[in-house]
Order: sequence, then C-alpha cells, then structure tokens
Amino acid sequence: MKMEDMSLSGLDNTKLEALAQDIYSDLVEDACLGLCFEVHRAVKQGYFFLDDTDQESMKDFEIVDQPGVDIFGQVYNQWKNKECVCPNCNRSIAASRFAPHLEKCLGMGRNSSRIANRRIASSNNMNNKSESDQEDNDDVNDNDWSYGSEKKAKKRKSDKNPNSPRRSKSVKHKNGELSNSVNADPYKYNYNTGINYETLGPDELRSLLTTQCGVISEHTKKMCTRSQRCPQHTDEQRRAVRVFLLGPSASSLPDADTMVESDCYDASDGQVLMSRLQWDGSSDISPSDSASSKASTNNSDSKKPKKKKKTSLGLNSTGGGGGGSGSGGGSSSQSSLVGLSNRKKKPKLPVPPAPSIYDNLN
Amino acid sequence: MSPAGCPHVNGFKVDNWKQNLRVIYQCFVWSGSAETRKRKAKSCICHMCGAHLNRLHSCLSCVFFGCFTKKHIHEHAKNKRHNLAIDLLYGGIYCFVCQDYIYDKDMEQIAKEEQRKAWKLQGRFFPLFNPSVGPSGVGEKYSTWEPTKRELELLRHNPKRRKITTNCTIGLRGLINLGNTCFMNCIVQALTHTPLLRDFFLSDRHKCEMQSNSCLVCEMSQLFQEFYSGHRSPHIPFRLLHLVWTHARHLAGYEQQDAHEFLIAALDVLHRHCKGDDNGKKANNPNNCNCIIDQIFTGGLQSDVTCQVCHGVSTTIDPFWDISLDLPGSSTPFWPLSPGGDGSTLNGESHLSGATTLTDCLRRFTRPEHLGSSAKIKCSGCHSYQESTKQLTMKKLPIVACFHLKRFEHSAKLRRKIPTYVSFPLELDMTPFMASSKESRMNGQYQQSVDVFNNDNKYSLFAVVNHQGTLESGHYTTFIRQHKDQWFKCDDAVITKASIKDVLDSEGYLLFYHKQFLEYE
Repeated sequence: MKMEDMSLSGLDNTKLEALAQDIYSDLVEDACLGLCFEVHRAVKQGYFFLDDTDQESMKDFEIVDQPGVDIFGQVYNQWKNKECVCPNCNRSIAASRFAPHLEKCLGMGRNSSRIANRRIASSNNMNNKSESDQEDNDDVNDNDWSYGSEKKAKKRKSDKNPNSPRRSKSVKHKNGELSNSVNADPYKYNYNTGINYETLGPDELRSLLTTQCGVISEHTKKMCTRSQRCPQHTDEQRRAVRVFLLGPSASSLPDADTMVESDCYDASDGQVLMSRLQWDGSSDISPSDSASSKASTNNSDSKKPKKKKKTSLGLNSTGGGGGGSGSGGGSSSQSSLVGLSNRKKKPKLPVPPAPSIYDNLN
Repeated sequence: MSPAGCPHVNGFKVDNWKQNLRVIYQCFVWSGSAETRKRKAKSCICHMCGAHLNRLHSCLSCVFFGCFTKKHIHEHAKNKRHNLAIDLLYGGIYCFVCQDYIYDKDMEQIAKEEQRKAWKLQGRFFPLFNPSVGPSGVGEKYSTWEPTKRELELLRHNPKRRKITTNCTIGLRGLINLGNTCFMNCIVQALTHTPLLRDFFLSDRHKCEMQSNSCLVCEMSQLFQEFYSGHRSPHIPFRLLHLVWTHARHLAGYEQQDAHEFLIAALDVLHRHCKGDDNGKKANNPNNCNCIIDQIFTGGLQSDVTCQVCHGVSTTIDPFWDISLDLPGSSTPFWPLSPGGDGSTLNGESHLSGATTLTDCLRRFTRPEHLGSSAKIKCSGCHSYQESTKQLTMKKLPIVACFHLKRFEHSAKLRRKIPTYVSFPLELDMTPFMASSKESRMNGQYQQSVDVFNNDNKYSLFAVVNHQGTLESGHYTTFIRQHKDQWFKCDDAVITKASIKDVLDSEGYLLFYHKQFLEYE
C-alpha cells in the first residue's frame, strides 16, 4: 500500500474497516515474525534446549492429592526426629524443642535470668536449707513446664557444653562421666532433679529404691532419681541410703549384673528390673511387697516420683519416663498447643506423708 | 567469530564499519524519537517496487532498500555481491551466502547498544524492582537472561533440569514447628508465595551490605532457595527464628505470638536490612525508601478531617503495611450497611442472609466518622476548636494488600476471640475505597460507573492465614495459591491440596491480596 497523504474522511465504513483489518493483520504478522526470530536465535546460539527437562525426574515432583499423605506423598507426622544446631551455643537440639531452648540460651525467657541467678546464689549457700527450699517453691509455683522438660532433654545429652550461659561455673555436671571424685563432691550434683524422700512413705520408698539410685544429695536433701548404676554415686552410698531409709534389713542392692544397663530412665527400665529381680530370687523384697510393687510398676502414677508443687521440682522428666516422654512426644505433633495445653495437663500427684531428717551420709 | 556467525562478515568489517552500522541502526531500525520514526516511515521503501512492508531489508554495503518477500534484496545482493543485509523490523543480519540470519558477536553488541539508546530516548519504563527508574522516566532496558558459553556448557552436561509446571511441587515446602512457632510459619508461607517477592529473591537481587551474618534479607533469600530446592522434607527455620528474635526483641520468647504482629515486625526488619538494594540513593529517608518491601507492601492512607463549621479539610497521608478492620460482634458498634448502596454486589459477593463481607468491613473502615464534642480539632480555617468528622481512604494502594480482621478483642470488659464469619472474595476491586473515588463522589458524581478498563485497583487473593482456637492458645494455618487457581493448605510441616471452597469458607484472619495488573512505574 503506497503511503500518501490520504484523508480518511472521504472513506466510508467498509473501506475504513478494510484498512483497519489490513493494519491489524500486518501487526499480527510482524509479531509472529518476531517470535520466529527469537526461536531462530535461540537455536543458533545454542540455548534452545534449555527448555527441555528430563521427563523422568519431573515425575518425582508431581503433586499428590490423596488423603492421609501430603502433596509429596509423605505420611503426616513423621518429622519428630529432626534436629538443628543452635546458632548461639552450637549444640544439637531437637527441632520441635528449639524455641524453648533458644529462649533459655539467649537468656530471654521469663525465668532464665532468675534461675541462673538462683543457681549462682545456691551454689554459694549450700548449707542454708530453708533458703533453697524457698527458692524451689518460688520456682515451682511459676509453673514453668517448659523449663522442666528442657532439663529432661538436657539430661539425655551425652556431650554437654560446659560453657553454656545457662550454667554457672560452679555447677558442672557431665552425664556418663565415671568419676571417683563424685563421691567427694556432692555439691556438683544437679540439684533440680531429685525426690524429696521426706514426703514418701516406707512402701513407696522401698519400691523407689529398688529401681533408683536414691542417694540423697546433701545440698538439696533430695534423692537421686537416676538408675542403680548412676555414675554420680557409689554403691556404698546407695547401700547407706537404703539402710538409712528402710532399716538395716533392706541394705542389699541387686547385683550389678542383673541391672539394666541404661542411663536413660523410663518406665520400661523399671519393669524389666522388677521382673529380673523376681526371676533371680535375689531380691529381698517380700512377696507381698513385690506383688504390690509389681502392680504399682504397671501403674505409672505410683512409680513416678511423687510430685507436689511445693516440695519437688521437675520430676516429671526423670522419674516418670513414660509419662514425661509421652507428653513431650505429644507436644511435637500438636505443635502450637504445646506450651499452654501441656501446662494445663501437668499431672498433680497426691501428697505423700511423713518427712524425716536426713543425717549427713558423707 | 562466534559459532552463530559466519565468515562472510569479514568482508564487511573494514574501515569505519562500526560507525556505519550504528548509523544504520539509529536511522532505520531503532527509532528513538518521533522525527526519526517519521523519517524511517518516509524513506524506507523498496527501491524496486515501492513497498513499505514485506520484510524490508537494507543492504549493509550501500544505500539500497529491498523487500524480502519479493526477493528484491536478493537480486541486489547477487548483482552487487553485497552479501549482507539488515532486517529493518528487528535488526537481524542476513547473509546471502549462508542464506540465513547470522549472529556475529561484535555486531550484536552494537545492535544491543543502539537499541538501548533508542529505548531510553523513547522514555520506556521498566519493571518495578529496578531502582534506576527515576521520575523522568529514563530507565535501563530490561533484557532477558541469556546464558554465557560456560553456563551453556554446564547446562548441557546436566540435563536434569526442573521445570516448574502446574503440577509441580517445587516451590512448596513444609516448615517444622520449633515450639509454638506456627505464627511464624504461616507468615513465612504467605511471604514465600508472594509473586513479586519470590521473583526478587530468585533473581538474586539482594546485595547485602551488612557486615555480620545477621541480615534477615539474606536469610529470606536462603529460605527461597530452600523452598525451590525440590527437597520434600520440611525445612527447619531455626536460623530465621534466631534472627527475628535478635532483631525484634519484643517478639522473642517461647510463647504463642500473634501472626499479625510477627508480620509487621518481619516487614520492618526486612525493610531496615534492605538498605543495600537501594543503590545508595535515599537510603535513610523513611518516606521515600525504594526497597523491595516498600515497593510491594507500602500503601498510603489518607486521613481527611473536615471541620463542621467551615468545611475546611485538613489532609494527612500515612504509610501503611496492612489494613486492620473491625468486625461485627465486637463491642464497638458495627456501622449499619447503607441500604442497597453502591457496591452491594461489587466484587461478586452476595449478601447471604446477612453474612458480613470484606467489602462491608472496608466500607465501615472508610466511612466518615463524627469525632464528637470531646475530641474537637483546632481548625485552621476557623482558628478555633470545632467539631469535625474524620474519614479514611486509600491514597495509594500497595501491590500486596494485607487485610487484618481484628478477631482478638482486648477491651476493658473482656478479652475474647470474635469468631464471626466474614466472607471474602477471590477478586477484589478497591476502587470505591480510593481517595480519588471519594473526591468524585464529593464532587457530585454519585453514580460510580464501574470502569471496566481501569485495572488499577483490581486485586486477587493469594494467601489466607487462619487461626483456630482461643485467645490464649491456638494454632495458625495458611492457605496459599500457587499456579493460578491451585490452592494448598500449609499446616506447619504438612502441605496438602485444598479446594477454593475450603479457602473461601475458612474464617480468615489475615487476607493477602495481590494486584492483578502490574503497572510499570
């Protein structure tokens, strides 16, 4: 079409439409040409193949839409064992427990600085029982569930960083470390994990002592809740405690050979231990006791060290392995409900009677 | 000579060939201004048949235009042995000996430069996150990515490429709950599925200027890499948590937090850490920041206070990142809906027997509010304290509009969650709530004809954050949209497919809308 100075006013509608049509088809043609050039260039420059993908591997990424699995085809709730490394203290922490750990690690929690200060204070005031009791009460009344289970998680770790900001320097406690000096220095024991023997009755004490170390810490006046092979205390100490608490007749401990080898204290350990004792016949637990104890080992409540708010701390974590880990496990699946719902569900165990005074064993 | 070139250009590359080529490009191919365009139109006709179109080519060795389709340029080439011609439409160079278009590196370079110059002259504007766009409109040409030789080699040796198609899981990934961190997970899911933000981070646009390792923007960038890595196991965002707690102390602590608060804090920290991407310009000017967060999320809220006596209006414009809307059922009275007023069927929502819609909430938000005698404002017109009305409208809408439904009531009398169902649409038109609409209403144009061609204010839903539970404890989940009309439910580590109905029936706490049509600045 020649370009002239045409005036459009002289044209009627059909001619205008024809013109518009022409212009439109020219534009479309030019656009298509542009596309052809792009493809041509891509082929010539050698990057046209980039658009191709490997069909086989693409199948791996197809979306799955079926009940019970997520879009990757994975079953729900299999992510309980994920771990990560804390950027602050470089320890390996379970992912679902990372937030509470980080809170303590950075010293930001409600209780972090208070607990740290108290630890420093109580390590300087070992002999002042009333003070430590008061502080214990104070702490427990705060209902800080997260702190309790954090301690539990800590106890299970084999490599503790002694430089973590949570510890004061004087309290160093290495799990699994066999040490002769343990005997000489009871103050180093982590005072928060123990049972107050004063509140337990004789039967309970007996059943407790068949499964636990039981050595009473001079610092906190509480019984050690670790297993009979607890490295912190010697057999001598254990024997002495049994004599003290149960009378001279109850002084024998099950042999080392029959012991369940595990630092990890949970309900199953206790039950295995009980059955072994009965099998060996070497236990001097009377048949009635064993029956009642056996009955009671099936009942996790009584086996669990009695926890009362006013007298003991964080026992949920250690004694009641089953109960403790149960609630911990539950938390990781019901993620956000964890903190508060578990706070509400903390089991309240009945108050045992009759305290008695503990002499200095060491 | 590149593999796509040909040996025949060597005959051309003599004397002052570069300058000659530039002249050809400037005059006949890329027209920078109206004059050059006119000149091109007038002078570029086939010397043999007079046609303007038909793929006109210009001989590179002499002044000759010939059309391609009628082979006039071919004849010229044969006769004069001028082997090269240039296509006047797209600037491609044709070699008659090879009988194909060739791509010579040097000539390509010249072509690119000339094209860039012409575009600059034309005043073409370019994509949003190019900070060199200034008020005069001069910008850089946006060029698509082309691989270098080395990259091509690498790609050829590694054929297992992942292409993101509509049925692809890439881009979706679960997030482990670190202990009451579902509030963080849901916001992270919403942010990673914000299209513009995703494009920004995937094209590596963040240049970090922070010395230490604690830049949150770098961590976001890393997060996108994790999401698009193709891994199926959920990601553990522990570093992100640590960084957020470090930079936003008020959120730190192992307890349940509010997702909306987290969103604001996260945007704030990202905004502060984004300084490096500004190219140094206006880095510290809070009103004029050009970082990606501001470009995407910041809008302007206009507040007009009208004096009742002299009707003078004082206007202020405040920036905002989100819009918090009151709900019916709270202790503050919900404004009654204007009977059948404009926009009752706007946005495709139907008033199902009194169900509140998002538009109702917006209308309440932008209604004129009488401030009462206890809150008299000093009027500059009357020079005295007078009663006034206040009205909020949107001056500038952000690209991503986040609506926060105020479901948590913390009044003196009670603290509770308001579970009222609010229906929200998939497509939202914000035109009635704009400051400009209000002006035209005030000027007497009561009938707001819906301008079909004005696409400025149309938004589409792309993420919904929901809260289940009570004020004290609950759980957050998110619905996000991927691949246009495919919705997914993100519940911490578990991602499942969801239907549009699931999304629209959900309660809704935070609603994220994205502009449908992006206007280049």
